[in-house]
Amino acid sequence: MKSFRKSLAVWAVIALLAVLASLPACAPQPTQAPPPTEAPATAAPVPTSTPAPAKEEQITLTIWWWGEQEAPGAQTWLEETIAEYEKLHPNIKIQHVLQTTDGLIPAFKAAADAKQGPDIQYFWGGVWTLEDAWAGSLVPLSDYWPQDEINHLISNEERMYDGKLWGMAWYLSGNSIAYNKALLAKVGIDTENPFTTWDEFLTVCQKLKDAGITPLAGGVKDGWFGGWLWQLLEHQALDSADELKAASIGEYKFTDPKFADWWKRLQELRDKGYWNPDITSLDYQQGQDLWVQGQAAMIFGNDTFYKGWMDLIGEENFGVAKIPVWGKGKLAGGYVVTAQGLGITSWSPHKQEAADFLLFMHTPDRLNAWYKHTGVFPADDRFDPNQITSPIMRKIFGWIVEKPNPNLENFAPSMLDEQANFVGVQRLLAGEIDAEQAAQLSEEVIQKWRSQNPDAVEHFKKWLGK
Amino acid sequence: MKYKWYEPYLFIAPGTLILLLVFFYPVVRLFRDSLLAPRGSEMVFVGLSNFRYLFSDDVFRMAIANNAKLLLSVPIMVGLALFLAILLFEQIRGWQFYRTTLFLPYLLSITVVGVIFGYMFQYRGVVNTILQSIGLGALAKDWLGKSEYALWVVMVVIIWKEVGFGVVLFLARLMSVQEELFEAARLDGANWLQLQWYITIPQLKSVIEFFTVISVFTMLSWVFNYIYVMTNGGPGNATMVTELYIYLMGFRYRMMHIASATSVLLVIITIVFILLQNRILGEEGAYA
Repeated sequence: MKSFRKSLAVWAVIALLAVLASLPACAPQPTQAPPPTEAPATAAPVPTSTPAPAKEEQITLTIWWWGEQEAPGAQTWLEETIAEYEKLHPNIKIQHVLQTTDGLIPAFKAAADAKQGPDIQYFWGGVWTLEDAWAGSLVPLSDYWPQDEINHLISNEERMYDGKLWGMAWYLSGNSIAYNKALLAKVGIDTENPFTTWDEFLTVCQKLKDAGITPLAGGVKDGWFGGWLWQLLEHQALDSADELKAASIGEYKFTDPKFADWWKRLQELRDKGYWNPDITSLDYQQGQDLWVQGQAAMIFGNDTFYKGWMDLIGEENFGVAKIPVWGKGKLAGGYVVTAQGLGITSWSPHKQEAADFLLFMHTPDRLNAWYKHTGVFPADDRFDPNQITSPIMRKIFGWIVEKPNPNLENFAPSMLDEQANFVGVQRLLAGEIDAEQAAQLSEEVIQKWRSQNPDAVEHFKKWLGK
Repeated sequence: MKYKWYEPYLFIAPGTLILLLVFFYPVVRLFRDSLLAPRGSEMVFVGLSNFRYLFSDDVFRMAIANNAKLLLSVPIMVGLALFLAILLFEQIRGWQFYRTTLFLPYLLSITVVGVIFGYMFQYRGVVNTILQSIGLGALAKDWLGKSEYALWVVMVVIIWKEVGFGVVLFLARLMSVQEELFEAARLDGANWLQLQWYITIPQLKSVIEFFTVISVFTMLSWVFNYIYVMTNGGPGNATMVTELYIYLMGFRYRMMHIASATSVLLVIITIVFILLQNRILGEEGAYA
């Protein structure tokens, strides 16, 4: 025992010395790469699709992307686009790696820590892009693209920070309520205009429930749907996404009615028994399957899935409605839409080439091919809307043009989304907490986030224009 | 032939160097990082503030509590493995088939097991369907969707998967025990229980200790895969464990300093368990 103690003491001293030696002598130590706003190697943006001379250096670009999950057909389109681009640029080879939903962010964060990985990375909008820009992992697209090209992108405001655009909008992803017309017709509801206000929505739900039909399908086990519910129900209480940024930095409390009342709406749906009873034990995809199988009448859906759903249940049986209005904010009644996008990594040795490929993705031919393959709207105003043959999709495109609303998940720290919205929705729908406790949880989470992320708070302030 | 005093050290130097680089450096670096926090583009010394945050964070406390709860499965696992190993050793009818069947779960990938059990324990899953079909519908619950059950369900799955390893370990040791010991005890009139208590368990002591230690470490720092696949820490953090917390802090919320501090605590807890084990085994001379 004595010798064990002796050796333990020796190791303890060695460990202590090593820790002390590796400490930055209580002084600051640089860890991050230089600010990402450095000027590009070549000043003038390269025009799109210029065939490269044959003797140029061989270049390989790597793209880590996501999107096939919500826009089936994206992979075929991407492969086709890469093939066409490589034909035009024989010295460039492009590899693409489709990421899983859960793996997308951690894989990129690991790559960013190592400053090694893709040249082009997929990003959701807003903070999901900007957090990586703030961390020095991205370069501004606006340093590589001409302004007149940038002007054609839809929803750029999500990726604007410090006067620069930090990523390219690729395709649009909006949310509404999808419903099964046959099931609504069964209980005598107008299948063209089933509801506009929250009260009308509750009436529809009640009628369905009384007829033994599950009104709403969902699955919150994997959390993501919790974030959707939050942004869809909450946005209408706000005047703009800036209010959410302001709440994130502490100018409002998440227990204030403006930020807390949406929990009451959710609790209402729970208390009245409008959800599938197994919502807490299903992932979002499984909840969605319930709806597609006709086991529930309505779902808070994403329009990137609609083409596939119409193929499955028939367009004549498929209806969409905007999220019912309960809030009094300026955003009430709009259509929540975001642009999913791509960005160029700061460690890429071929930034200009990456930017050129992104530009190629927005050529009119590629934009139209995108819609043809996926049925999802590209985030570019050069997309020809005459291509939309489905009346449902035309209706949705009209909503996007008429009053596009920001997706709030893109304007709050991801920790708030996951630790307050994902967790709170799970617990509320499981009957473990009520709306007030859920709002309190949000406030606690944002306080924790602020305490540990002073830099991010500063970025949010700057983003807010303070 | 005389050696210089330093020659033996030269021989062990390459191995020591590799060990220091692979094991010692990351741990030291981890300890260092746990005392720093990002400020702008720099990491600054913040003392124990990361640890203070951890102890004030209810999610972390829940993670630690859940790891502790999972430790409860260790005696169950050991007892069950022992019981099954004894049954197999007594060569009950079809024992070879059972031996393979019991070991099979241990060979399966945790991801596969997690996904399958995730489906089975859904509200409309196989488990509840069976319960309803045999008239026990009242017992059908939302096993993974309610905080009160989720962790226990995960524990059941871990036991189901890991117990086979214990069975095989115990059985292998039992096979090498001299049959004369059992015969002598039987001649002395020992009943079945006495046989196990006075012969089997003492003979298996070192293997039981080994399996117990491995199981304790599994429950402390090797359950990430089960949790990630089956519940992702939910519902509402009810199945949050330390490893998942580290992952979330480091890779989801960009709080690597908090992830480092958590890892340090996990290392310390594990070292405490190793010291305890050494002490217990040292006192009893199990490996002597």
